[in-house]
This record gives sequence, C-alpha cells and structure tokens, in this order.
Amino acid sequence: MNHTINRIVIVGGGTAGWLSAGIIAAEHRITADSTGHSFDLTIVESPDIPTIGVGEGTWPSMRSTLQKMGISETDFFRECSASFKQGTLFKGWRNGGDDTYCHPFSAPHGYTEVNLAPHWQPSRDQIGFADAVSPQSALFADRQAPKQISTPEYAFNVNYGYHLDAGKFAEFLRKHCVEKLGVTHIKANVTGINSAENGDIAAIETDSHGAIEGDLFIDCSGQRALLIGDHFDIPLQSKHNILFNNTALAAQVAYDSDSDAIESCTLSTAQSAGWIWDIGLPTRRGIGHVYSSDHNTEERASDELLSYIAKTVSKNAAASATMRKVHFSPGHRAKFWHKNCVAIGMSAGFIEPLEASALVLVELSASMIAEQLPANRDVMDLVAKRFNDKFLYRWDRIIEFLKLHYILSQRQDSEYWRDNRDAASIPDNLRDLVELWRHQSPWHRDTNSADEMFPSASFQYVLYGMDFETQPSTTQRRSDVIAQAQVQALFQENAQRRAQLQSSLPTNRDLINKIHTYGFQKI
Amino acid sequence: MSSFAIVDSSVHGDLKVNTSRGVEFGDNLMFTMTYPMEFRDIQSCYPIFFSKDPETGQFYPVALLGFEDQTNLFLNDDQWDATYIPMTVRRQPFLIGFQADPDKGEGATKPVVSIDMDSPRVSNGDGESLFTEDGKPSEFLQKTIGTLEAIHRGLEHNKGFITALLEHDLLESFSLEITLKDGSNNKLMGFYTIAEEKLQSLDGETLAKFNTQGYLQSIYMAMASFSRIRPMIDKKNAALD
Repeated sequence: MNHTINRIVIVGGGTAGWLSAGIIAAEHRITADSTGHSFDLTIVESPDIPTIGVGEGTWPSMRSTLQKMGISETDFFRECSASFKQGTLFKGWRNGGDDTYCHPFSAPHGYTEVNLAPHWQPSRDQIGFADAVSPQSALFADRQAPKQISTPEYAFNVNYGYHLDAGKFAEFLRKHCVEKLGVTHIKANVTGINSAENGDIAAIETDSHGAIEGDLFIDCSGQRALLIGDHFDIPLQSKHNILFNNTALAAQVAYDSDSDAIESCTLSTAQSAGWIWDIGLPTRRGIGHVYSSDHNTEERASDELLSYIAKTVSKNAAASATMRKVHFSPGHRAKFWHKNCVAIGMSAGFIEPLEASALVLVELSASMIAEQLPANRDVMDLVAKRFNDKFLYRWDRIIEFLKLHYILSQRQDSEYWRDNRDAASIPDNLRDLVELWRHQSPWHRDTNSADEMFPSASFQYVLYGMDFETQPSTTQRRSDVIAQAQVQALFQENAQRRAQLQSSLPTNRDLINKIHTYGFQKI
Repeated sequence: MSSFAIVDSSVHGDLKVNTSRGVEFGDNLMFTMTYPMEFRDIQSCYPIFFSKDPETGQFYPVALLGFEDQTNLFLNDDQWDATYIPMTVRRQPFLIGFQADPDKGEGATKPVVSIDMDSPRVSNGDGESLFTEDGKPSEFLQKTIGTLEAIHRGLEHNKGFITALLEHDLLESFSLEITLKDGSNNKLMGFYTIAEEKLQSLDGETLAKFNTQGYLQSIYMAMASFSRIRPMIDKKNAALD
C-alpha cells in the first residue's frame, strides 16, 4: 500500500504542540486541493488539562523559527511578555563564593578563522575568557539590550534569543496557527486509540469529536505521553545516574517597580544541591530552584530559594512568593519515532533547564519532521530511523554538556558536588574529551555533526569560565606564529566593539518599552 | 542644549531672531526632515531619501544636504546655495509645542508657537522682531507660524505616507559608493529609498488609491530626486581643487 502522508494530528496543545504545528504549517501549506496535494494539520487539545509551561528561555534559533512562521517580532514581544536573552551568567559554580562566568550566545571574535583560547591562556589571571573574546559579558553586567529600536526585526548588533511567558506564548502561537496558517484546533479529550493492522495508530477516539484519523501522529501530551508511552510503551531511559536534579520549585516574583532593570541573560546560581534560575520578563521574574531530592530536602531547597529571592529582589517578595513543585525523571525515550507516531516535548524526555534545551529540541524535532516529511508510509520507517539516530545523538550531547558544568566545579561543600565528580557518574565520551582538552582546546573538529547542538565555542566558554587549564602546546606551531599578529588585532577589536556597544545600546527595559510603543521595522 | 518657551508678546517684545545662514547657527546639517507637500521644491535641489529616527525607529523622509555628518554642501559661509530652503531649516529656532486646552475638554491640546531661547539665533540685538510696537505679531512671526503649521500638517502626512509605503514593502535600504576625483571612496549608508521593483509590481487598485491619496506623485518625486546626487558629487569634487 502506497499510503501518502498528508494528515498530521498533534495530540496536546502546550508550547510543544503549537510550536510544532507552526513550524510544520510554515513549511507545508495546508490546503484541500482536489488534485491530490491536500495537506491537513489538526491539534487535539484537552480543555481540562492545564499546560505546564516549560521553558521560559529560548536559543537564538527561535528568531528564525518565528520569522519563518510569518510572525511579527513586535507582536511577539507585546503579546508574550518577551524580553531579550543574550546567554547565561553562572554564579557560584566554581567554588560557591562570588565567582561568576558568562556563556554568551555570540561565538568568540574571529571564531571561523582563529582559535583565541590558547592565546588567551597566558593572560587568564588578568581577564576572563568571555570578556577577552566577546563583547556580550559586559552587556550582561549593564543589563543592556542586544540591538536598538532602529535595528530591523530579528536582526541584531549581538546575537540573542528570548525569555518569554510560556503560557502566553502557547496562546499567541495558537492564534497564529489557526488564523494565519490554517491549523485545525479541536478541543477534546483523548479517550482511546484505534490501531491499524500494521500496528500504526489509525485514529484517536475523543470524548466530543469522535474518531480523528491521521497518517502521522505527534505526541505533545507532555509527561503523560499518551501515545509514545501509554499506547506504544516505549520506555524512558533514565539519566539520573549522570544528572541528579529531579525536582523543581518554581516561583513568580513581581518587580519592586515598573522601572526595575530587566536582566539580559539567564542567571544561574549554584546552591548546596542544585541551582537557582532567575529569568527576567518585563512583567515579572521567574525564579526557581532545581535540585536533587536525593541530596536535599524540600524544606531546605525552599529556604535556599526564599533566601535568594529576599537577597536579590526583596524581603516582601520572598514573604509573598508562592511555589509550585514539579517532580521529573531526568531522561528520554529509548526512541522518539515509533511506527507513525513521533514524540516532541516532555513526552520525548525532560532534563533540568540548565542550558534551556527544552524549546530548542521542540524546534529541531518539528523542523526535521517538516523538512523530511515522509512522502508515504513505505518510507516513513526510514525517516523514523534517521530521526531516532539524530535525536538520540543530540540527547547524549546535551546530557554531556550539562554534566560538564558539574564536573569542573571545585565545590567541596556538599555530597552533591562531590558525587557529581564521581567518575562513575561521568559518561565515557565526556571523560575522554575533558582528558583531551587538558592538552588542546576545543575547536571545530571536536564535533562530528554539521548541525551540532553545542558548538566547540560553548565548550570553551564553560571550560575556561570554570577555570579549566589547557596545557600549552608542546611543539612550536607554524600556524601560531602566523596567527600572532591577527590574534592581537582580534583582542583589540573585541575591546573596541565592546566599548562601542556599551555606549550605544539601550537597556533591556528601555528597548522593550520602545517596542511596546513604536515596534520594530521590518527593514 | 535647548530650552523652549511659549512665544508671548508681553515677554518677548524685544526679542530678535537672526535669520542669517551659517555653521554658527547649526546649518551644517547632513540631512533634514522633509514632507510630501514640499517634495516638488525639494526634489529640484536635493535628493530625497528615508531615514529612521534613532529614538523610535520610525521612518521619515529627508532631504540630503551632504555625504558626511555635519557637512552641508549647500552652505557656503553665510550663503545657502540653492533656490529652496527646507521648511525644517527655515523654522529655526521655532517649534510647535502643545498646551492643554481645557476649553475643548480633558486631555485636549492646542498647538502653540515655542522658541528655543538657547539658540544662537535669539538675542536682543540684530534680527527680525517677533512683534510690532503695538504688540501684534510681526510679518516675520506670521510667516513663521505659517511654516510651523505646514510642518504640523506635514508630520501627519508623513505618518500616512510612510505607513502606506511600509504596508506595500516599498522601502528598501540602500548604500551609495562615491568615488571622488582624487580616488578617495566615500560610502553613504543607513538611508532607505523607494523599492522600484516592488513599485512596478503594484496592482491597479493600489496604484489608483495611491494616486487619489497623492502618494503616487510623492513616490515619483522621491525617485526623480536621485538626479540631484550628481551635482552634490560635483560640489565635493570642486572643493578638492
């Protein structure tokens, strides 16, 4: 049977569901064409289950994702309480004191040609790595925006992603998908699944809309994993032995005043057995503590969170904060695409939001489906295999990259930090890489894939931010001699560019206010 | 710095405004805002481009006077070397301000004429009087009020004109490479112009609407004004001699 694939059904309407719908519908025009080019995309959303609203931080990739969907960046800022994110500022990760380092979104200056890391090493006591190679760390400090109001939408002076209100974002995407892209929205609860002879899902049964047939089903039902888990029984692979954090306490905290500065990066502050995220939206701050329940009690975790809020916001804010507790099993499915069903979002897996990988995984998954949409059922299994290989690889890389943040720490103040450095908890591949990096700094060839999740630049920022030392080369490299003049010029250019940006860029708050008043131009 | 005061015969009876031209009066402008209603005069002397207000990102049309910051190629010591001087230059040192107008209800405002008391044009010495001896507005002030009113209407015209241009993607960024006869290269960047290909593909209905609104004429005048770039380059080359 040469069954064409032109009816996609998404189960679940949170951020993952609507973002996937938007990405697929931006590529495949939804039409009811009698010549056989029809394509239909339906989202079935439960009217009874609230969305979790995971992921208030995005990667820079979200800019092109929104742009491809035909969304105005001005509308996005106004309706999703969005603000600018230029990276992450880590506090207390090295030794638990007032140590800090930046992981900015922009690659080191001149990164396509020259590896500045070995040339920075001799001056590591005078200047931090991110300060030496990127202008962005200085912009974090002054809470500056990555662009000006006269910069066209989605363009930038320095690379950026977003912080956003996930609940508002899902609603904003829903409106765009339904009104502009032709996505069908059905509010119903899934009550059963009808199987086809080959084991595929033929249709889902619903309480108010009967059976809904489809050729490809996307499971965006969150942790419940109605299709990939309940129906197909694809097991979750736990990564708890590597990444210990499995509980989050999340709070929303009001600003003291409407004119309070909005951070232009995510703040990540290490605690005794986890870390606290602090995400600045124009309307509020999202602050939460993600920790290991094996190493910390809820009471102590809550005390640490409240003391953070009292210290960074106000005592009043801490007194009035309400916390929501979320428990999760760090890990992912053994595979994501099984028969005619793909899992995207929390149904596929979940891990602590240390590098904001949740939304970018949704973007990457939906983009791959949109790009590689199998023409018919016969080739679907081939695409499914590719998809599974690619995303298993990506999950492994994410997990290793997150683990890297922990194993470089020198903290001795708790079992948690010591356990994190226990060799048994460190994946072999990561252990080998770190061993190698003691003798050579991460560089382009360290990564195997052209569309790697984390480029070698990210490894450099974390390694050298965490005080890691790479030994100088044991041979005299001809390329180093040639590069020497260029290297000094690059360091100087970066310093100049930083000074120029510091004097010309508005604050995050000012620019967001202007977006609300004037909006960005398209050109 | 500027400090604006509402023009008042009882306070400003002796005030004089110097209407001479010169760098000392802030006439060394690279470009200045213009309005569709004066495009006909502007395009006979200056190229018309579009620029963004750095504070708001909003577009507005400009008459180009020079190729570099603080260089007005039309300013020759105390002479303005062109048959028409843009309204936004002529209005100096006056500005339209807005004052609460309680007669018309809460929140209503009325336009009032303001003067920049810190402008080097303003003194008690030489220049044009604002008021006659019996306290009536002088001919000079009346003419200025006319210009300010035209600018006020022009700002509204600009809003509609720019909105229409953006709605149809009729603006595009542009840069101009100028090679002078001494071989030096100058690059003019940060300006926008009419996207001619987009204009040519507009449908009849839109063109008819643009025609009725007067936008079509303004668009073609802006395009025709490009021929004014050449004489400006000539002026620059002449200055090298």
